[in-house]
Amino acid sequence: MADLFPPLVTAQIDDKPKVDEKVDYSNLPCPVPYEELHREAYMSLKPDTFEGLRFDFTKGLNQKFGLCHSVMMGPTEVPSQSPDTVIKIPTAHYEFGANYIDPKLMLVGRVMTDGRQSARVRADLTDKLMVKANAQLANEPHMSQAMFNFDYMGSDYRAQLQFGNNALVGANYIQSVTPRLSLGGEVFWVGVPRKSGIGYAARYETDKMVASGQVASTGLMAMNYVQKVSDKVSLATDFMYNYFSREAVASVGYDYMLRQSRVRGKIDSNGVASALLEERLSMGLNFLMSAELDHKKKDYKFGFGLTVG
Amino acid sequence: MDSLKGKGKGSKGASSSSKLDLVKEWTNWSLKKAKVATHYGFIPLIIVIGMNSDPKPHLFQLLSPV
Repeated sequence: MADLFPPLVTAQIDDKPKVDEKVDYSNLPCPVPYEELHREAYMSLKPDTFEGLRFDFTKGLNQKFGLCHSVMMGPTEVPSQSPDTVIKIPTAHYEFGANYIDPKLMLVGRVMTDGRQSARVRADLTDKLMVKANAQLANEPHMSQAMFNFDYMGSDYRAQLQFGNNALVGANYIQSVTPRLSLGGEVFWVGVPRKSGIGYAARYETDKMVASGQVASTGLMAMNYVQKVSDKVSLATDFMYNYFSREAVASVGYDYMLRQSRVRGKIDSNGVASALLEERLSMGLNFLMSAELDHKKKDYKFGFGLTVG
Repeated sequence: MDSLKGKGKGSKGASSSSKLDLVKEWTNWSLKKAKVATHYGFIPLIIVIGMNSDPKPHLFQLLSPV
């Protein structure tokens, strides 16, 4: 906690002015939103790998409005009885979407050929209050989900209230305690099945690293650490432990942001190694390659895709 | 204590349970209608809002694949 030293130490450290400043506790920065606590770690460690072919075409009609068409062909996993075998069914679908992105209002909608629709709305009601809604609707009854969030942003804290279907109510709060450390907590109550939970989280960040941890009464404990080795390379590691079922997973990953491409890879203690490559072939044309090897379950997934626009 | 509680419920039973049932039914009905409206109307809503923002795009740009 170097920032708590009194200013008497300043004379020796001229070239690192950040260490000298006396902490102004009435003027702390606003913390990241509670759900983005592990943002840097999950960007490296949970890239969205896919299997099969993926083709996305985004056409912008306007600065704010765009339509997108995407085609996905490949096997999709079906839940099986035993956790060791994996059942896959080849499927192909086309998805149409529309985006309207404004500084104050964001609307994103996607609809698939089998009738499934996803909708996301984000609106800034005032400077500090924001409403977000996220819904996944399906034609079958009882298969739809929706969640509404109300976010309030204070000067050095954020508070959020959530309502979802199945009578889910949740609230979370995060506060900056020093310019680098922020602490937060959340509570939630679900109607079906009746359970409630409480959790705590902490995040410590500097220019070169981010460390965060989260504990919840559902039995989850997660800790992760990201080191920004240079502005092109960052390394991350993550540890997740469930203290009711006594299962632990650790993973190590990297994220290379090069001029024309971005490579992300990770390896897991469950024997899963995965990587995702995004290469910019020319302006607006991106080529994607993804691989996920699960040695324990003997499930190997490879995918390739093209993104236009 | 239990018998008092039982009597209280018995006398007000009919009106309070039917009011609660009415409220539940009404919220279920409105949620179902809201779900159908969102399912069919959300993407047309985005398209209408987008076509009316400026600079106004043409209908031709909406339908052509280029």
